[in-house]
Amino acid sequence: MLGETRVAAGGAVGERWARTDARAKVRGELLYAADQPLRPCLDVVVHRSTRPHALIGSVDTERAMAVDGVVAVVTGAQLYKLFGNALMTGPAFSDQPCLAVDRVRYIGEPVAAVLARGLAPARTAADEIEVDYTELEPVHDVDLAVAGGPYVHDVLRPSVVFGDLKHLRGKRDTNVNYEYTLRRGDVAEAAAAEGGRTVHEEFWCPPTHHVPIELPFTAAWRDGDRLEILSATQTPSYVRQSVADLLGIPLNAVRVRSAPLGGSFGAKMYDRLEPLAAVLAWTQRTAVRITASREEAFLLTTRHGAAVTGSMTADKDGRIVAATADVRYDTGAYADVGPRITAKSGMVATGPYRVENVDVRSRCVYTNKPSAGPFRGFGVPQVTWSHESLVDELARECGVDPAEFRRRNLLREGDVAPVGTPMHSADFAGCLDAVTEAVGWDTPLQREEGRLRRGRGVAVGVKAVLTPTIANAVLQLNQDASATLLISTVDMGQGSDTIMAQIAAEALCLGEGQVRVVAADTDVTPYDTITAGSRSTYHTGNAVRRAADAMRDKLLELAAERFGVAVTDVKLTGDGLVSAENQQKVSIPELLHGHFGARGTTLTTEANFTTSWVPYDHETGQSERVTEHWFAGAVAVQLTVDTATGRVHVEHLAVAGDVGRAINPKLVEQQLTGAAIMGVGHALFDQMVFDEGQIVNGTLLDYQLPSVLDVPDKITPIIVESPHRSGPYGAKGVGETTIIPLAPAIANAVRDAIGIRFPRLPLTPERILTALAEQEAGA
Amino acid sequence: MTTDVQMTVNGARHRVAVADDDLLLDVLRRLGITSVREGCGVGACGACTVLAEDHSVSSCLARAVRYDGVPLTTADGLAEDDDVVEEFVAAGAMQCGYCIPGFVLMGHELLAQNPAPTREEIAAHLEGNICRCGTYQEICSAIEATARRRQAENERRSA
Repeated sequence: MLGETRVAAGGAVGERWARTDARAKVRGELLYAADQPLRPCLDVVVHRSTRPHALIGSVDTERAMAVDGVVAVVTGAQLYKLFGNALMTGPAFSDQPCLAVDRVRYIGEPVAAVLARGLAPARTAADEIEVDYTELEPVHDVDLAVAGGPYVHDVLRPSVVFGDLKHLRGKRDTNVNYEYTLRRGDVAEAAAAEGGRTVHEEFWCPPTHHVPIELPFTAAWRDGDRLEILSATQTPSYVRQSVADLLGIPLNAVRVRSAPLGGSFGAKMYDRLEPLAAVLAWTQRTAVRITASREEAFLLTTRHGAAVTGSMTADKDGRIVAATADVRYDTGAYADVGPRITAKSGMVATGPYRVENVDVRSRCVYTNKPSAGPFRGFGVPQVTWSHESLVDELARECGVDPAEFRRRNLLREGDVAPVGTPMHSADFAGCLDAVTEAVGWDTPLQREEGRLRRGRGVAVGVKAVLTPTIANAVLQLNQDASATLLISTVDMGQGSDTIMAQIAAEALCLGEGQVRVVAADTDVTPYDTITAGSRSTYHTGNAVRRAADAMRDKLLELAAERFGVAVTDVKLTGDGLVSAENQQKVSIPELLHGHFGARGTTLTTEANFTTSWVPYDHETGQSERVTEHWFAGAVAVQLTVDTATGRVHVEHLAVAGDVGRAINPKLVEQQLTGAAIMGVGHALFDQMVFDEGQIVNGTLLDYQLPSVLDVPDKITPIIVESPHRSGPYGAKGVGETTIIPLAPAIANAVRDAIGIRFPRLPLTPERILTALAEQEAGA
Repeated sequence: MTTDVQMTVNGARHRVAVADDDLLLDVLRRLGITSVREGCGVGACGACTVLAEDHSVSSCLARAVRYDGVPLTTADGLAEDDDVVEEFVAAGAMQCGYCIPGFVLMGHELLAQNPAPTREEIAAHLEGNICRCGTYQEICSAIEATARRRQAENERRSA
């Protein structure tokens, strides 16, 4: 390993420590946000738009006000009078009001809010609100929206969060709110070369939903000139800034607390229920609580549906020489972080391959649907669906085994990616080798078994980590040698509390259970950009490591002073501090007691870890340093297709991710496996269905999620470790790695089994049966 | 209409006034039992599972008034040394943990009916519970381990 790695006596990193909250989770004693005791709160229920696109005439709240228990009814127009354009929030574009002001842009958009004593009267009253609409022509289809009007927004409003969106301010007559282009070499020339082969296809990934089982929840209350929020959010630091901006008050007047999340996967971040809760508590000088129902949760955010027109060209020697992707992300009525998704996925839209000639156009498009936002993979699974289907077909065209074809073309350490940034700690080939070996890729396959057809497929994925970002950690070593770690990372099931405890324990030779992580509270825990994008292990982990290293150095100094020896002579071990010169020993409790002269004292260190980038060129998309590091993963699958029912049955799913170094192998395996199971859903059945802007399957009776019966017969999670030179103990994150190539691996195996390429997700039994019937008719 | 009922939860009796349409889920949470959680409101995810006389019930669909005097068990009320809980912890059968109490209770119900379930029988019994984090393998392993443990204990006792 390179760089700042120093050997610590440790014994924490690389161990399968139990989750810090394992028992509390199993017994149901862990308190999620909605389980926490609160002061009495008014319940808030919103009245929602029944139109996909309309002007709001009048909002009649009289009958709602008359419902017993109702305290207030608030409309968007009233809020706009108080807050003006500050009411418009969003991480990339300031385009979304918490209550529609003069126009609704999707079916289900909040129009007015009822505050009542109890949920039941709030719900009754919300139904009593009547809105007079003047309908506008809606646009539902992403490609129609690209082509022209009607326009969902009159004018683009980039936020101040991302400086590089400034040039879009004031742009009119378009539904395309962001466009990223990646250009390198000459695609046309490369594609025309003699002996080359080109494949191309139109792909579609439908919108899907995160469906964390914990429902969205936010409570807010006003205390004089301060606002406090308790929210199920992945982004407490962001929410503090957003609410301070909205209310026009200082950051220290807003306190945001999060809690352990009951899953999130991108659903609970940026501005969700918090702006509405904040303005209601602030303006009504009261305490409010918003509990979304499952049906409402479907309206809060979605995963982008995406259309991709892609091509890939190999030369006569089977080298990939050109690739293109025209990506259209359906971002719905509000941009949320869609423009970032568009860029982050556009830069890897041609895959983890050495390709000298690329042409990518990635666009973020408004339509009259619920807003789409971040979802595990951040748009990259949608482009991977394209490049991993294309490369598979191209291998077949070239008469080369799909795994071997990829192996010849994969980016290796030191290679420069099409986006212009060199690769490091991204062992695609190692991941590919591991998964193909696991499923016995080169062993004979019994292809037919009665009505079953058996096949194998493989896919590789690449993603760049969010850059630049900021992480901070404050570490308190208590006199009794227990430690308290203050970070704003939110544990939502990925196990960050455990991972951070292990990183802190490693440098200080502490044991399991000795480091406690404080839940994010902006009054107490320091700024952290977001808990998302698999960034925490690397970024916050580095801040924690630095704080722990600084703590160890302090202990060494105190011990050296006590022993009367040089600092370099003292070692920290599991038994305390030891002098090599004169064999003196002191435990941490004795050392701190001696130093402070009291029990119960604390020694504090803090550290920051900030990453930087070189912004990509607006014309070519190129950057020599577009990201701090890369995620690399591969999936191989063996499955059967039932030709009578169209059902796919996964026999063996092998998933691998290069995590740099596994801080806790058990938790890494759970991320590799959990993301894979979610990906099986995306491949085979998971999708939000809209009819003229109306969700038709927005309940868990209608929306299918992977159950225990959808788990493959065998799952093999494989940890690949090519240490990152500046990762904490070499580590990187893992939350998204295996969901990225999952769906195409399954589709490639289906292709292998029945000879049919499916360019549209999901591969439902209906689609497969229809395609088999067409195949038969054609034959 | 409001009725005074006796909710018997984990052996403790509570007299509560419930409306005819009060859901068992909401009444339990009003009593401070937060291991019972809403995930879907339509009986499709299992996060609100309780045991009523050892039978699993989706408390988001159940009317509280029908459980007057019926002994109810929730995961937080299981014995401190509950074997299913211990095997879930040992197997690492949790990620975000939100759905896990429901699975623990389903495990109890299954093992009471079938002390030696096959993997297929376990899966069939858990079909109605959703773990969005995808911890199914560990959950099934934990239930299998509990069955083995009970069997070993029985053999020891009878030996």
